[in-house]
Amino acid sequence: MLTFILRRILITIPMLLIISFLVYLGLELTPGDAVSHMISPDLTNTVTEEQMAAMRESLGLDKSFIERYWSWLTHIVQGDFGHSLSGGVAISTIVLDRLPATLELSIFALVFSTIIGCVLGLLSALKRGSATDSALTVVGMLGVSIPEFFFGLVAILIFALNLGWLPVGGRLLPSYDSYWDHFPNIILPGLVLSLMMTAGVMRYARSAMLDSLSREFIRTARAKGLPQWRIILYHAFRVALTPVVVLIGFRLPTLIGGSVIIEAVFQWPGIGLEFIGAVRGSDYPLVMSIALLSVLAVLLASLIVDVLTAMIDPRVRLG
Amino acid sequence: MANDLALSVKDLKTFFYTNKRCNKALNGVSFEIRKGKTLGVVGESGCGKSVTASSIMQLLPRLSRIEEGSITYHSERGDIRIDELERDGAEMRSIRGEEIAMIFQDPMTALNPVYSVGFQIGEALQYHTDLTKKQRGERVIELLTAMGIPSPGERAKQFPHNYSGGMRQRAMIAMAMSCNPKILIADEPTTALDVTIQAQIFNLMNKLKSENDTAIMLITHDMGVIAELADDVAVMYMGNIVEAGTVDDVLRRPQHPYTRALLDSIPILGRGRDQDIKSIRGATPDPYERPKGCQFAPRCDFATDACEVMPTEEAVTDTHRVMCHRYKEIFENA
Repeated sequence: MLTFILRRILITIPMLLIISFLVYLGLELTPGDAVSHMISPDLTNTVTEEQMAAMRESLGLDKSFIERYWSWLTHIVQGDFGHSLSGGVAISTIVLDRLPATLELSIFALVFSTIIGCVLGLLSALKRGSATDSALTVVGMLGVSIPEFFFGLVAILIFALNLGWLPVGGRLLPSYDSYWDHFPNIILPGLVLSLMMTAGVMRYARSAMLDSLSREFIRTARAKGLPQWRIILYHAFRVALTPVVVLIGFRLPTLIGGSVIIEAVFQWPGIGLEFIGAVRGSDYPLVMSIALLSVLAVLLASLIVDVLTAMIDPRVRLG
Repeated sequence: MANDLALSVKDLKTFFYTNKRCNKALNGVSFEIRKGKTLGVVGESGCGKSVTASSIMQLLPRLSRIEEGSITYHSERGDIRIDELERDGAEMRSIRGEEIAMIFQDPMTALNPVYSVGFQIGEALQYHTDLTKKQRGERVIELLTAMGIPSPGERAKQFPHNYSGGMRQRAMIAMAMSCNPKILIADEPTTALDVTIQAQIFNLMNKLKSENDTAIMLITHDMGVIAELADDVAVMYMGNIVEAGTVDDVLRRPQHPYTRALLDSIPILGRGRDQDIKSIRGATPDPYERPKGCQFAPRCDFATDACEVMPTEEAVTDTHRVMCHRYKEIFENA
């Protein structure tokens, strides 16, 4: 198992390199460079070409693409992501500042959707064809197909504006004394985000459960005289778990990358919201860093999924 | 007489329902399984062999029902009407696996892929015996050893995909035999296995029969297997037992045209390539549109108008019975 994990990590490294190169290339292809962003539009006429060239030279922008990529990469490996163009704050500071909010929201949604999704999926499969199953199927399809932002806006309209039960958005407000004061703020974005995820998990859990319930080893288990709950939980659910774990695993990147749409709708100050701001403000170093972090999260998630699958299903070859 | 019996089935009718149509999968089946003996059940695919087994185990699919008849298990505690027990009730569950056990056709899919073989055998012990976890582990190894599985200690920890086909079936038998059942139902236990493995499995079953006095119901479509292993034979066709008796009765003195046709359709080893193998003409009828009378009539060479009426079971001798209007005349002409 250990060699399997080590080997998987080793495979991840060249993938990360290739992707970082592509991200850097993407930046290179965008119009303008750092210098043109640093100069205020009002001054464009007064700054001469020579001054611009001097600035480029001092920033190392006159070097070749490969040289610049290499210097960027070596800095990143040392944890130095550079500075944001707007404000000049270190990117690592920005990310660390935003990460707690994103983690908070994503963990809430991930845990909630996993538990509720599995339970409802199980219920739906066991009561196949019943009114409960049909109702859950309809809800599940709606959950999967309604766009998040629409769902979020409707939720704000009903629960925040019309009913006034919950705040419209935001996270920590100056008037809050303790950490728990902001709990009402997380309910709406957390639930909207988890409902989307729950619907997917539920549909997956249902079909995986139906599949494993129809397999022959279930009949063997019944022929052994096992009670129904044990057949369902030990034999059927355990086998159905693999596809569900894969699905949940691929949701893990939201833990770091955040849910851009939900964070924007609820003005949740996480990484997703920061990302939108960075894109709007053409803050390319920040965009690149967040993109690279998301990529890292995706690769890590797929590593975790592989390890978990190998742990759940002994048939998966560790090779 | 009744003391020798392990199980009696009387006039059993099991119907399947799909799309408001009804498939009379078992249309009045009666037989007995004697203690410590093997009853062979033969017939073509779809004739109701497996449905009979599932009816006894109450493992029928949801949309099927035992409509009529009785299944009586002659236990040491007295007779138990299995057909009257709740399908997944506590009583039925305590019989399943403990007193009546079953092995299935395809050992590749009948074992759960994510649990070790030892765990799956131990599960039966966990629910039917008072053994501690440690004792169960020892018993599992004991069982695997008895099934002739090499290095059983390590094998018990392995998963089904580490086993070969023959070993999986032996593991299935170990699971079935774990609680020393009174009756073992084997539903085509070797169909999915190599011929060389078949003999091993059958030897094992014979050994278990003689050592534990287990009654075996062996479902197969292989007449050779029947000749080898069975004490009694029941020949099934489209939900009826058309002929039943001891092995000698049925194989040496077949009465029903179907049994004869079945026996004639088997190539015999050593007779060379020019032997006259007779296939049975036609195909099994659609179970939803069955013939009115004798189910075999449309394919039978001896059918007459009389066969438009369902024949009743008639005793040829004390042990031999047949379901045919014309068996007497046919037998004389043969």
